[in-house]
Amino acid sequence: MGKTSYVRLKGSRQFRQRLLLATLSSTPILVEDIRSDDTSPGLQPHEVSLLRLIEKVSDDCTVEINETGITNDSKDSSVDTFRTTTLHMLKRFGVPLEGLMLKIESRGAPPLGGGEVVLGVPIVPNSLTAAHWVDEGMVKSIRGVTFSTRVSPQIANRMIYAARGVFNRFIPDVHIFTDHRSGPAGGRSPGYGLSLVAETTSGCLISTDVAVNYPKADETDVMEDSEEKPDMLPPEDVGVQAASTLLGEIEQGGVVDSTHQGLLFLLCALCPPDVSKVRVGMLTPYGIETLRNIRDFLGVKFVIKPDPTTNTVILKCVGCGMKNLSRKIA
Amino acid sequence: MQRSGIPRFWNLGATFFRFVFRIVSRVLAFAFNSSVKAKRLQSRAAEKEQRRLHVPTIDRSTGELPPFIVVVQGPPKVGKSLLIKCLVKHYTKHNLSEVHGPITVVSGKQRRVQFLECPNDINGMIDAAKIADLALLLVDGSYGFEMVHIAGVGDFASTGITSLADPCPLPSAAKKKGLRDKEKLFYAPMSGLGDLLYDKDAVYININDHLVQFSKVDEETSASGKGKDRDVGVALVKTLQNTRYSIDEKLEQSFINLFGRKPPSASDDNVDANESGYSQGHVSILDQEDDDCLDDKEVSDDDEARKNELIAESESDDSDGDDNCTMDDDHVGDQQITAFSHDLKEEIEFHNGRFRRKVISSDYKDNGDLQDSEGDDMQELDDDDDDLGDHMDVGSESSEEGDEDLDSDDEGENVSKWKGSLLAKTVSRQNGNLMQLVYGPNVTASTTTSQEAHDSSESDDSDEDFFMPKGERTKKLSDNLDVDNVDTEDSSKFNNIQLKDWSDGDLVKSIRDRFVTGDWSKAAQRGLGTEDVGDNETVFGDFEDLETGEVFKGNPEDNDKSSGSFRMGDDQEMEERRLKKLALRAKFDDDGSDLSDEEEHNKRKFNQNQTDAGGYFDKLKEEIELRKQMNIAELNDLDEATRVEVEGFRIGTYLRLEIHGIPFEMVEYFDPHHPILVGGVGLGEENVGYMQARLKRHRWHKKVLKTRDPIIISVGWRRYQTIPIYAIEDRNGRYRMLKYTPEHMHCLAMFWGPLAPPKTGILALQTLSNNQTGFRITATGAVQEFNHAAQIMKKVKLVGCPLKIFKKTALIKDMFTSDLEIAKFEGAAIRTVSGIRGQVKKAAKVELGDRPKKKGESVKEGIARCTFEDRILMSDIVFLRAWTRVEIPRFYNPVTTSLQPRDQTWKGMKTVAELRRDNNLPVPYNKDSVYMSIERKPRKFNPLVIPRKLQAALPFASKPKDKPARKQPSLESRRAVVMEPHERKVHALVQHLQQIKNEKMRKRKLKEQEKKKAYEAEKMKQEQLSRKRQREERRERYRREDKHKRTRRKVED
Repeated sequence: MGKTSYVRLKGSRQFRQRLLLATLSSTPILVEDIRSDDTSPGLQPHEVSLLRLIEKVSDDCTVEINETGITNDSKDSSVDTFRTTTLHMLKRFGVPLEGLMLKIESRGAPPLGGGEVVLGVPIVPNSLTAAHWVDEGMVKSIRGVTFSTRVSPQIANRMIYAARGVFNRFIPDVHIFTDHRSGPAGGRSPGYGLSLVAETTSGCLISTDVAVNYPKADETDVMEDSEEKPDMLPPEDVGVQAASTLLGEIEQGGVVDSTHQGLLFLLCALCPPDVSKVRVGMLTPYGIETLRNIRDFLGVKFVIKPDPTTNTVILKCVGCGMKNLSRKIA
Repeated sequence: MQRSGIPRFWNLGATFFRFVFRIVSRVLAFAFNSSVKAKRLQSRAAEKEQRRLHVPTIDRSTGELPPFIVVVQGPPKVGKSLLIKCLVKHYTKHNLSEVHGPITVVSGKQRRVQFLECPNDINGMIDAAKIADLALLLVDGSYGFEMVHIAGVGDFASTGITSLADPCPLPSAAKKKGLRDKEKLFYAPMSGLGDLLYDKDAVYININDHLVQFSKVDEETSASGKGKDRDVGVALVKTLQNTRYSIDEKLEQSFINLFGRKPPSASDDNVDANESGYSQGHVSILDQEDDDCLDDKEVSDDDEARKNELIAESESDDSDGDDNCTMDDDHVGDQQITAFSHDLKEEIEFHNGRFRRKVISSDYKDNGDLQDSEGDDMQELDDDDDDLGDHMDVGSESSEEGDEDLDSDDEGENVSKWKGSLLAKTVSRQNGNLMQLVYGPNVTASTTTSQEAHDSSESDDSDEDFFMPKGERTKKLSDNLDVDNVDTEDSSKFNNIQLKDWSDGDLVKSIRDRFVTGDWSKAAQRGLGTEDVGDNETVFGDFEDLETGEVFKGNPEDNDKSSGSFRMGDDQEMEERRLKKLALRAKFDDDGSDLSDEEEHNKRKFNQNQTDAGGYFDKLKEEIELRKQMNIAELNDLDEATRVEVEGFRIGTYLRLEIHGIPFEMVEYFDPHHPILVGGVGLGEENVGYMQARLKRHRWHKKVLKTRDPIIISVGWRRYQTIPIYAIEDRNGRYRMLKYTPEHMHCLAMFWGPLAPPKTGILALQTLSNNQTGFRITATGAVQEFNHAAQIMKKVKLVGCPLKIFKKTALIKDMFTSDLEIAKFEGAAIRTVSGIRGQVKKAAKVELGDRPKKKGESVKEGIARCTFEDRILMSDIVFLRAWTRVEIPRFYNPVTTSLQPRDQTWKGMKTVAELRRDNNLPVPYNKDSVYMSIERKPRKFNPLVIPRKLQAALPFASKPKDKPARKQPSLESRRAVVMEPHERKVHALVQHLQQIKNEKMRKRKLKEQEKKKAYEAEKMKQEQLSRKRQREERRERYRREDKHKRTRRKVED
């Protein structure tokens, strides 16, 4: 019986991903110096609640997560993107789509949040299947959904109008839906935004989203709404910004957008020891960090090969052979 | 270790072992009388067919297969060594004096066989069984079949794995019949042939020139006339000798130097090794040396230099480890590859404690000279290698620039510039460089750079910062240095994409073709893989030519396809078809490569039948084969070094492992007869936890197993002692503890130990001693899951008795020990022996009247107030039946048989019975547990007393009739009866008549019995006669049938 040897990490960088990988590979980790130079050292409240969630979920078979928090903000992909794009990525790796669902009970914009989603994920039978996903295809349609909480419902239409204006030069098949929430379903803070998905002929989904809300200020400042209102981006600009970002993503190429690179790499690495091959656009810092984390935790290295003709990068890896070990045999 | 080649080996060994199976079967008439029966038979046949099928698993071995391991097993003095010697002689024409350890023999053009003599103890047998592809069981005919059965060190983190040149390579793939004598190699590192002789205090090298292995590399080079002084075989032996020398020698001098040098650092490697038979330690990278490398390098002239190189290298390795512990190990491995592919000149570097960085480029193998010069450059660059940033890609200027960008102080432009450089790299770089960009700078590098940045900013404006909150400054930093700051906000979005104005016409044009509204043919070219980059250009050329009207047939294939989109589709299809074809071919190869034509034909026929039968099964198999071919195709693109990095070492590669922190006893007590088995530990398997397994006592083991008696479990590569708790699942899903395993049934065993994935087989032993008479394997089973939350419950029965009884309420004592305990059990159901049900209510206060009458007793706490459905008696006993959780002991003890002399028996934890026997302790005696015949005293009830008032109110019939007791018996009981003379006569006559009748009946019965006997005898006679006749008839019929059959067969022939 040896001592537990921890993988020592420093700082709060990529906290979520490190936790995830540590849990999956059942590696004990020790994170030191979390914001040691900050005015508020240590874990932030949302990180603590993530730890609590992991504590609740692990060593028990759980498929449904019901969490209250922020559903749309400018830092991570929104729930809409998650629903339209991320869940469909899992299909490529052999996860049955039937049980996958994400229901948005209510939305929450920062700083106060108040959103609530129900996520249902089926139990993966045995292991994922390696994916050979290189063909990015051509964009055949653009779909999207706007959200607006505790603001005028007209804002959604203004965003759509502006976004469509940008796409007009490229493709006629653009449909953007609105999702206006008021009352308790709208969370506790006002905000609005737009999530766009481009679907290609080969079934790839490239998405972006933009959200606008009040900046996260100190608690005292929240009361002085009148002062900060002009800071919010007008809906027209939001629409244009979202559309331009999506076009930028399309320009870069790859089978997924820049936001989903990390997850794509992770899924590839968790496959059985077969070769997965994927094409992405320019590697993002997050993607690179993910690759390093994967190397550290799972011992999987990717072969990264640029494709100069298309300015894309092709990554190949042999999966680490992750199996669903906790599943009881029949 | 499952391999699909077992049947092939049978074919190969047919010269030695010819097993003839004659199946004698009677021909049945295949005519069904009823359709129901026919249907049933058909379904049964289908069922049998399905049972034969197993879920196909992917065979990931590519290239040269590892040797086929043949374990020769049997009791002592039965001729195991003799058999191996004979086999070796047969294959190689060499006499082997003694058999020590594994012996590898080249037996065919595509096959190597490794013979292994199974040691005669249970550990060795289990180890051998784990790796054996084929077991030859030898039996001494004069004894008959004795019961001998086929069934360590511990877990270590490996610090280094290196692939070695194959000591016993397969002959080159030239088309020729049979093997030349020269190619009939064999490799027996322990047996004193072609290698060193291993002794305790000295090492002898015994190399006869005709025994040395000539590898194909050597043949080629000598043929090309380069004139090497030494052949590879010798070199190999020398290196082997070197390493072993170091083990032996360093042990004598200072083994700490070898084994205790480096403290096990946590983030060292992901590869875990588990050596069956030691405790915690390390395996470390030493060097890589494979065929290609050997091919390229100029072997230095004298052995000494090479030896030095090795030693120096290991030293440099250590210094490396001290300098930056988190340095990636694979990286170290890469460096050493370069180290090996250079000659004496680089050696000096190693002595200085320097080591070179290797640039992974695809052409590094082809032009070694270029690389050498590059290497010198690198050395110069390396001189200022304090800055670790340089390490990631030395030798290419642009990358360095990129790195400097990372920590440059030009903060406004920083990110976009960084991005720009990344993009530029994407376009211009070789793949290896991009990989290095991602993997090269590791965590330490990035932290140091940020540290530097931090320092510089501090020195700049230290005075102003003094009054600034600490966080502000870092925030400022973190805004710009996303990559380097350890406390970056956790965001998956890449926010820094510059927004472009898409109303601009040029920009629109640039992505026009990415939409379905754009040009499909151009878009299609994007979709092609990188392999066709060259083709693409020709495609462009084609287009131009078509415009001018000239048809330039540079690439006729491309011209055929008019539209690119079609081409893309076709391409994919073609690729798929090609892979499918490969898969099919592989399948056929697998089936009948070694069979003679006739056999192959039969087999194919059989396969066709199979395809008709199992469509789904074949589909599965085909899918797997397709995936395998795809893997091979993808991996074949890569160069060797990258491939090893990505894929790991391939199956069948000879590896050198360096393991740190191993107890010296392992080498001290090393015995070549007992091969050391090293197994890799999978992801998530290095953890320790609770496991649930389905276990069944072996039916040849005489005793059942007792819960909490330690058993030795062999699961996966591991072998350890643990304390299991047996249980069985009740109908309501509860796991009820069992004191003993069931006799003939599976039960659940839960124990603590290193985890093994579900479905792993388990074998349990009680002791490892060899002098045990009975069957040693006590139980077998399989891991079901590891669930820490699973609970095993056992029944608990609390017993109490009434202290005071009110109407339907009673105070119960002795059931609980404290009021706290009662509080826990409030509301629990209880029951008396007579079946009156009740409930625990609350802890009761002890009142004066409740005090026990006896002086000695003192009941203060633990009196519960309970209610019942009826009034209970003071003589009633009250039960509370409940379930309690059983703690499973957190104990496991790796079996370390390799750390002690082989003739000693490993001693682990003792069972309770053994402990009692050793300490002369009696079995504890509990009077209550003794079984006795139950004696029940007849219960004495008090007489019924009816109150006078009630008596008066009763009707007369129900009233007790009060009769005064009589002093004397009544007249009727005292009176005697005397008969009259007539009466007496009548009575006598009746008696006579009765007697006559009885006599008559008796006679008749006798007569009947006699008659029956005669009849039975007659019947027996008849029966015998008829049976005889029937037998005659039958015999006649068989004779006729046989004759008929024989004539028919003759006709057929």
